[in-house]
Amino acid sequence: MLAYAVRRILATIPVMLIVALFVFSLLYIAPGDPAAIIAGDQASVADVERIRASLGLDQPFVVRFGGWLWRILHGDLGTSIFTNLPVTQMIAQRIEPTLSLMIATLIFSLVCAIPMGVIAAWKHGTWIDRGVMILAVFGFSVPVFVVGYLLAYVFALQLNWLPVQGFTPLSRGFWPFLSNLILPTLALGGVYIALIARITRATMMEVLSQDYIRTARAKGVGQHAILFVHALKNAAVPIVTVVGLGVALLIGGAVVTESVFAIPGLGRLTVDAILRRDYPVIQGVVLLFSFMYVLVNLAVDLLYTLFDPRIRY
Amino acid sequence: MRRRTFLAATAAGLALPAVSRGQDKKVLRFVPQANLANLDPIWTTLYVVRNASALFFDTLYGVDSQLRPQPQMCEGSEVSSDGLTWNFKLRTGLKWHDGEPVRASDCVASLQRWMVRDNMGQMLRARLDEIAAVDDRSFRLRLKQPFSKLLYALGKVGTPCAFMMPERMAKTDPYKQIGEYVGSGPFRFKRDEWVPGSQAVFERFDGYSPRAEPADWLAGGKRVAFDRVEWRVIPDAATAAAALQSGEVDWWETPIPDLVPILRRNSGIALDIADPLGNIGDCRFNHLYPPFNDVRVRRAALMAANQADYMQAVVGNDQNLWQESASFFTPGTALYSEYGGDVLKQKNVEAAKKLVAEAGHQGAKVVMIVGTDVPIVKAQSDVTADLLTKIGLNVDYVATDWGTVGARRASKEPVAKGGWNVFHTWHAGVDCVNPGAQPAYYTTGERAWFGWPKSDEVQGRIDAWFAATDQAGEKSAVRELNKAEMDFATFLPTGFFKGYQAWRKGVSGIVRAPFPVVWGVTKA
Repeated sequence: MLAYAVRRILATIPVMLIVALFVFSLLYIAPGDPAAIIAGDQASVADVERIRASLGLDQPFVVRFGGWLWRILHGDLGTSIFTNLPVTQMIAQRIEPTLSLMIATLIFSLVCAIPMGVIAAWKHGTWIDRGVMILAVFGFSVPVFVVGYLLAYVFALQLNWLPVQGFTPLSRGFWPFLSNLILPTLALGGVYIALIARITRATMMEVLSQDYIRTARAKGVGQHAILFVHALKNAAVPIVTVVGLGVALLIGGAVVTESVFAIPGLGRLTVDAILRRDYPVIQGVVLLFSFMYVLVNLAVDLLYTLFDPRIRY
Repeated sequence: MRRRTFLAATAAGLALPAVSRGQDKKVLRFVPQANLANLDPIWTTLYVVRNASALFFDTLYGVDSQLRPQPQMCEGSEVSSDGLTWNFKLRTGLKWHDGEPVRASDCVASLQRWMVRDNMGQMLRARLDEIAAVDDRSFRLRLKQPFSKLLYALGKVGTPCAFMMPERMAKTDPYKQIGEYVGSGPFRFKRDEWVPGSQAVFERFDGYSPRAEPADWLAGGKRVAFDRVEWRVIPDAATAAAALQSGEVDWWETPIPDLVPILRRNSGIALDIADPLGNIGDCRFNHLYPPFNDVRVRRAALMAANQADYMQAVVGNDQNLWQESASFFTPGTALYSEYGGDVLKQKNVEAAKKLVAEAGHQGAKVVMIVGTDVPIVKAQSDVTADLLTKIGLNVDYVATDWGTVGARRASKEPVAKGGWNVFHTWHAGVDCVNPGAQPAYYTTGERAWFGWPKSDEVQGRIDAWFAATDQAGEKSAVRELNKAEMDFATFLPTGFFKGYQAWRKGVSGIVRAPFPVVWGVTKA
């Protein structure tokens, strides 16, 4: 399995190169000009051109791409056109809020969604099942920003329990850290819970109709053990797959959630960079997200062996 | 002993909120108009950068609320009787944030960098024979021809301001960004706490010695009551409003009109006009290509326009926030004139339609590039699209983002090759109090601002303003200039509008100004 993991990690290199070329090309042909934004509304055409030249944006595609790739191969993601800060430093400043939000959402979603899905499957056709499915449809249908605003209105403005916006690093205390994360996690978790609960329910219903479950029941195995030991483990592979795929959903959702709750994370960094055409930052962040996604997929593949011993690499 | 320990611990616990409140009074949490992505006020002319720079850079002169330049870093200046030689002397005790004294050579280098990028600076540069430091506290400018607007140029609040920086920083190419942020203003910039897109922190500079006069905009003694000013970037307006209501921030620079009624209902929040000089909307024509290379079509647009439509689309029905203005200049300022502006008062769509037909442009295609992510631009564009359609033009509404508009508007190509016919923007009123700092007024053809208007008549009037040596002369020049701009229809001024600022009622001393003035502000 170690050899497999190493092979998979090595396989990410060509994937990342293709992503890099794709992102760079896309940005190259996309309209917009950071020099015009830097120069400001009052600037003349000549000013804009001088700034563009000073940033090297007047160079041909091959020169720019070659230079960027060369720097990446040396571990340098470049420097932000606007802030003059290294892209790695900007990512480092922003990664904690985003990772915190994603991990908190993941934990919260799994804790809520899997029992919901299991119980819905167990109580299939009852009002409990219908209730869970209604909640799932609701979670899927209501946009993250609507949930976010509603939560902020109720829990921050009306009840004054939690802050409206911002992020506090864990190093400044657990409660300040958590209090800033609760509302964004609830807002972002809705979609994810809906997704996982639905797939858990569907898979569990299939597993619960298997012969070995009937046999277990006939042997007098308790309901709890049937559901959470025998059935859930066998239903885990599709669930883990969806959890992994859902990371992309989380990344997308984090962009909106971070804007609504003014969390200084990678999502907002990406949006700001796109609006300003800060090419090095966009390229750096997209590469990072791609790498994270590849790693998550690898983790999912490795988890398969844990839940299903028949799978071997 | 245990009891005493318990009591001491309890007392300490109870005292904590008081200490925290005391510390809180020394911290101003401010929501700026936009993200602060850099702090070089010469490299970029963005207003948000100017506003941040005003906290930690200083100027030789600074305008007061009457737009009169007053000495700031300078003790004063002397001008020779022929108006060609200016001698400036710095105040004593000026220090950079790194502890070094401010020297005349720093100011010379700073002015040289500023002159390359600023409109008025370029005027000065064209007249400049020599600029040199005389000693550590004095420097001299020798001109080839008099420049009566010199002190105004040095102290103006429009971007880019003539901010002073150490010589090593000022030697940076004006088209490249400075690498460090050392100023001599009342606050120092905390680079280690800067998270672009999230927060910027400014810490009180103990080495700053304010002038004795009362503070007034960029002029007078900049006495600050805060140890820290924290800029919290909150891009979402609803979130910023909620943060202000919950007390997480103290002052919000630009509440959007839609949220003003909610803020008004909150008894803990005060609202007032932010900038008394407001803004002037601009529907910008491309003078290089049909149909707007024909003055009759441009005049037709002015003739049909109803500024009330534009202004209601931009800021809503709140009459405190807008007014119609048949002028290219800022209402309520000394040089304001509506002379020649009757065309903007006609609101006559039928006459305009006839004029377009007479000019042979009926049904002509007009490519309008619209940055839909900027609400003021989008609102103006929607009104113009309707207006141009009504007068017989065929509008191609190209919805995109402001980043794309910024690039495409620089194209001098015809529309078939990626050019454009119309875009919208707006100008800060402080840049429209006279023709000096506003490139949108200039009609120098290929060298002019986007749209590249060419008119010797208009340009002659601008030159007349620069040549005027007293206010009567300036008034006369601006009056004639307004008429010339209206006759030539350089652009369509869509009206004059203002915005609100909002703050927690515990904060006091906030004034109306073109930038957030922190000196004089206190927090209970």
